Amino acid sequence: MDGEDLELFERSLRHATETHTGTALDAALDELGWHEAMAEDPRAAIATLFGLQGGANVTSSALDHVLVSALGLDGDADAGIVLPDVGRWDPPGWIDGSDLHSSVLSVAGLATAGLAEQRHALVVSSIDEKVIALRVPVPSLVLRPIHGIDPSLGLLQVTAERLPVTAEAEVVPGDWDRAVALARLAVAHELVGASRRMLELAREHALQRVQFGQPISSFQAIRHRLAETLVAIEMADAVLDAAWLDGSVTTAAMAKGVAGRQARTTIRHCQQVLAGIGFTTEHPLHLYIRRTLVLDGLLGTATTLTKALGDELISSRQLPPLLPL
Amino acid sequence: MSRAPGAPMDIDEFRVSLDAWLDDHQASLEPEYEGSGTLDQQMAHLAKVKQLTYDAGWMRHGWPERVGGFGGSSLMRAYLGEALASRDVVEPGLYSLTEVLAPTMIDYAAPELAATMVPALLRGDETWCQGFSEPGTGSNLGSLACRAVRSDDGWKVTGQKVWTSLAQYAQRCVLLTRTGTPESAHKGITALFVDMDSPGITVRPIVAMHGTDEFSEVFFDDVAVPFDRTLGQEGDGWAVAMDLLPYERSTSLWHRAAFLHRRLQQLVETAPAGALDPTALGEVTQLLYAFRARSRATQHRMANGEHLGPETSIDKVLLATTEQAVFDLVSQTLAAEVTIGDDPASERWRSEFLYSRAASIYGGSAEIQRNIIARRLLDLGSDR
Repeated sequence: MDGEDLELFERSLRHATETHTGTALDAALDELGWHEAMAEDPRAAIATLFGLQGGANVTSSALDHVLVSALGLDGDADAGIVLPDVGRWDPPGWIDGSDLHSSVLSVAGLATAGLAEQRHALVVSSIDEKVIALRVPVPSLVLRPIHGIDPSLGLLQVTAERLPVTAEAEVVPGDWDRAVALARLAVAHELVGASRRMLELAREHALQRVQFGQPISSFQAIRHRLAETLVAIEMADAVLDAAWLDGSVTTAAMAKGVAGRQARTTIRHCQQVLAGIGFTTEHPLHLYIRRTLVLDGLLGTATTLTKALGDELISSRQLPPLLPL
Repeated sequence: MSRAPGAPMDIDEFRVSLDAWLDDHQASLEPEYEGSGTLDQQMAHLAKVKQLTYDAGWMRHGWPERVGGFGGSSLMRAYLGEALASRDVVEPGLYSLTEVLAPTMIDYAAPELAATMVPALLRGDETWCQGFSEPGTGSNLGSLACRAVRSDDGWKVTGQKVWTSLAQYAQRCVLLTRTGTPESAHKGITALFVDMDSPGITVRPIVAMHGTDEFSEVFFDDVAVPFDRTLGQEGDGWAVAMDLLPYERSTSLWHRAAFLHRRLQQLVETAPAGALDPTALGEVTQLLYAFRARSRATQHRMANGEHLGPETSIDKVLLATTEQAVFDLVSQTLAAEVTIGDDPASERWRSEFLYSRAASIYGGSAEIQRNIIARRLLDLGSDR
């Protein structure tokens, strides 16, 4: 997608994210052909939607679709997918037992709100060294609506202990690590989208708020915080760009790590610039802070991803491949 | 080269053929000194490398034909510097001055002057320096005072410059002078192309903290400069400077990213077991790859003919942050080498660690870059 097509796509997605959230946004995405766009141009579909979703502080089950389609499991129209638990990126299910049909499945993960409405959940599970997907009836899972720091995100905690494996198991056609990488790019775009919005909110406030007879935007302490925020956001966007171009799992993990860290930088500076009003629920900043803190935890936090990268480099003694000029 | 020098190439072809040539000529391109060497050694080696790469044609790709180049995408210039820096064939800071000064000559010098002078710079026959900063003019370039007045047969320049890199080696200087009234600020500045052997020029090198006299003070005492050495028109100096600064924040930063990548790779290879903190290493690596990704995008914008402007201040902030983070990690991980090692390898780590402290000071300080970002990119209005 490029030029006018991309512009039109962006405009219709912008309208959808500004007017809907949750299942209503899912329906709107269906209607405007986001799923087809995913098949045709995943970068445009993911970057545009998740950036806007972050900017509008809305939610959808698009992340499920990213993971499901990357795993090659998207034939299953009436199934949602269980996401890894907070801070983790290994498959959310694990199977005990040598023979699949006499074994048991345990699950610890998350799901977007839509899972409660589905008949089945795809639980990607590790067994020995392999990864398989099980189609599990949703009623056999324990779903706990997560209130937490960001109730409006509507996440569910999904658990199950030692369920008898009766379901047909599917060998996952796609690679789990690659699917996680794509989902990380989506969440990173959402973090960047939310961060850009926080910066806009802080900027507007700085220009309007007058103290000592002048807008606080004229004070260097304020200006440098906002400049620092823009640098952090552009840095995350740059790694995202590189990750799309080189298609590597390592770069995608870096993009998610950098996006999480820059979002925390953005929160720190923007909340300080917005000061009192930014500490209240009368200003929308708190919604973005809540959202970014949870998104940082999805598929690995900035901290865990950064340490995992360092551990890997120390053991291999080799930096990741470079994207050529 | 397996093909005629000067035949048009795309970047992929250029990369593959240049890599092969560098492999074949490794022995003649390697510095003869250990570690950093002295500045004299570095400069002599730089001239040799420029000559070899120019004569083999590599140095001419990406530069316009009217200044002795072969034309083609500027990405080839970016890759040449990357390849040389990532093999430790050149010190990128010294090498990349060409990337700052040659475009200025191409854009502003009279065509015959550019055609005569630029090839000498590219081929390493000459070194040029950049006379911008003054003792009273660091960040506030618009306040510069080095004065040029008209006489019958040319400009007469009197004043002082400082932080002039490589002035003691330079044959020429791109010099900013005050030709308007002292109050004319950025309107009354004129850029001149000055021969450094002109009578009345005195160069006093300054030994910097990292152990070399890379910068100098330069004194001008009634120095004659012909009118045909004016870059642009009288009063265009500010435009020359503003057009030059984004070059300081584009290709030269790309070369620096290659250098930092090599050093971080060497650190990862040689760090004693247990000395590297994984979280710090992970963060520095992310930073380096982010800076490099940003600089890569800037290279592509430049190659597509886009005008580079204040957004390159973000590249500069990222360079300073990255370079200091890389060498902070070096100084923590190789603490003994940096503090008490006296072998050439330790001396190089120490010198580069110390030099990294300047990354947030030179080429527009970190604070000035943030001022530019606030004013020009965030549109926060005036700060006074």
